[in-house]
Amino acid sequence: MYDFVIVGSGSSGGTLARNLHEAGAKVVVLEAGKFFRKNTFPKTEMEYSSQLFWGGGIEFDSHAKTAFLRAKCVGGTTIVNQCLMDRFDDDCFNDWKNRSGADFMSVEAMLPYYERAEAKINLHTFDSKEFNKNADLFTSGCDKLGYKWKALRRGMSDCKVEEGNDCIGCLGGCFRDSKQSSLVVSIQVAEKNGLEIRSEFEVENISHFSDHVIVYGKQGSVKQEIKCAKVILAGGAFGSTHMMLKSGFKSQLPALGKGFCQHPQYMLFGVFDTPIDAHKGNFQTVSSSDPGFRKKGFKLENVYAQPISVGMLFNSYGKEHQELMEKYRYMSCIEAAVRDQPEGGEMNIDKKGKLIITKNLTDQDKQRRDIALETIRNIFSAQGVKKIINSPFYFGLHLMGGCSIGVDQTKSVVNPEFQVHGLKNIYIADTSIFPSAPGINPALSTMAFSQKLSEEIIK
Amino acid sequence: MSTIFNKFALKGLNRIGNIMVPRNGQFPAFSETGCLEHVDDIVSYAPQNDLKDLNLLLSILSFMPGFVLLWLVKTMTNSHHKDGKFYDIFRMLDFGLKGIILGTYYSGKVGINFKGKSPLQVIDFSINRIEV
Repeated sequence: MYDFVIVGSGSSGGTLARNLHEAGAKVVVLEAGKFFRKNTFPKTEMEYSSQLFWGGGIEFDSHAKTAFLRAKCVGGTTIVNQCLMDRFDDDCFNDWKNRSGADFMSVEAMLPYYERAEAKINLHTFDSKEFNKNADLFTSGCDKLGYKWKALRRGMSDCKVEEGNDCIGCLGGCFRDSKQSSLVVSIQVAEKNGLEIRSEFEVENISHFSDHVIVYGKQGSVKQEIKCAKVILAGGAFGSTHMMLKSGFKSQLPALGKGFCQHPQYMLFGVFDTPIDAHKGNFQTVSSSDPGFRKKGFKLENVYAQPISVGMLFNSYGKEHQELMEKYRYMSCIEAAVRDQPEGGEMNIDKKGKLIITKNLTDQDKQRRDIALETIRNIFSAQGVKKIINSPFYFGLHLMGGCSIGVDQTKSVVNPEFQVHGLKNIYIADTSIFPSAPGINPALSTMAFSQKLSEEIIK
Repeated sequence: MSTIFNKFALKGLNRIGNIMVPRNGQFPAFSETGCLEHVDDIVSYAPQNDLKDLNLLLSILSFMPGFVLLWLVKTMTNSHHKDGKFYDIFRMLDFGLKGIILGTYYSGKVGINFKGKSPLQVIDFSINRIEV
């Protein structure tokens, strides 16, 4: 019998797997996706978009208004993100303490866990000399308008951008093992010391008993049943919530599936007279840090995407579409991420067990979005933009909530010890426990919560 | 050519693709590029049930007159500004078809008989990889 089955291998599952394995526990990691390595990641945008994500590329809410990007591979979403590493602030933790009643929700209480999580990662804060032209436009536009910005801190070790490498390629997995994904900093490290990882293993449901748990699933087409003392769900907001719902726990946990947030992200494009080449070099290096934006519930980042994704974001067809795509190298891009309210989001399952996501933007979400987009337009205008391209599409990369943490069993799913209320052998410490949207990139904080859980278990 | 879509579905895709990305200036029309020869690379990983439905729908669309396909593309495009279940379906279809059509068109891959500039060359896109 295993001591721990960990379902999921991203920032939460990877951290827990490495720590518990190093502490001597018998651990197996179950991951629904394939096990790609630096030399086997798909190379082109078409290939990685279809091979590394759930749904063959993209998933939707019940009205097909929001697109969700959720990685399905060993390393989880840390394989396809930019590995931006921010700590949560007082504003976030105060809100979470109020909502959850959990005492450790403070910058001070979480500090040691952040520090120990960060100690495993190579962190790099960008210097202005490393900015590409897209970032230069963003920062000088902010300066002109008096908006505060900051250079991003990223988990990376050896990107060779100075030799001409274009980092946008690592959105499909880093072929240098430079990006500090869960694969690089946790899974492969623990694997060298004997950690067992079963990829392409899809968990169907779990049964909880007083002294053990049984995990049911399929590896390929073969049905599997694994017995363990404890199970840790680390499949993210969709994955962990889905497993809990399929296991029939909704009746005893009324808050299960509620409070889904996603930081809805909107990309605006500005067309300029000269090439911007936003896809070259370090393609994402700066974000807003303006306290006014934080108060208003949004942040801005300079980003870009490869041609298929950019083309998908334009709501046009025919010659109009091609005239926009012809300007691909001449476009600057700024993204707004809105700190959305949890009240608008919920997850359920249908009769076949399929996850159904309802996500309605609240009036406050829409107001925040509109202010954010107007701010981007102002930044572009301050830089002499020739044309601004609006996109009606928004998407979710930061999927959060569904198994909220808290002391009240009627309003939350896991207790402040990360155990599911009334099911002591099931733990969750991934983004599904977030009581609301932090408005800050969640990867590092997910690692810090998982660091905390692993230390408490080892104690 | 494809082990997933039948020949009628491929014809339907080519016809809709030519509306979404026609021959225009240096851009080749969708069907001219032959990029559909690589369509399995993109759809092999999609949910099987979705593919079954899409295969059937595209096969039916392959027999429709051009104005019906143009109406479909226009309705899908406009659906993103509308509410209601009717438009939910068109939004879903738009994402699905666009994903396949733009995904193959801007994939950098072309058919064996295509000799012109690929769409990625037309927009002058390239990224450098400094290998380990």
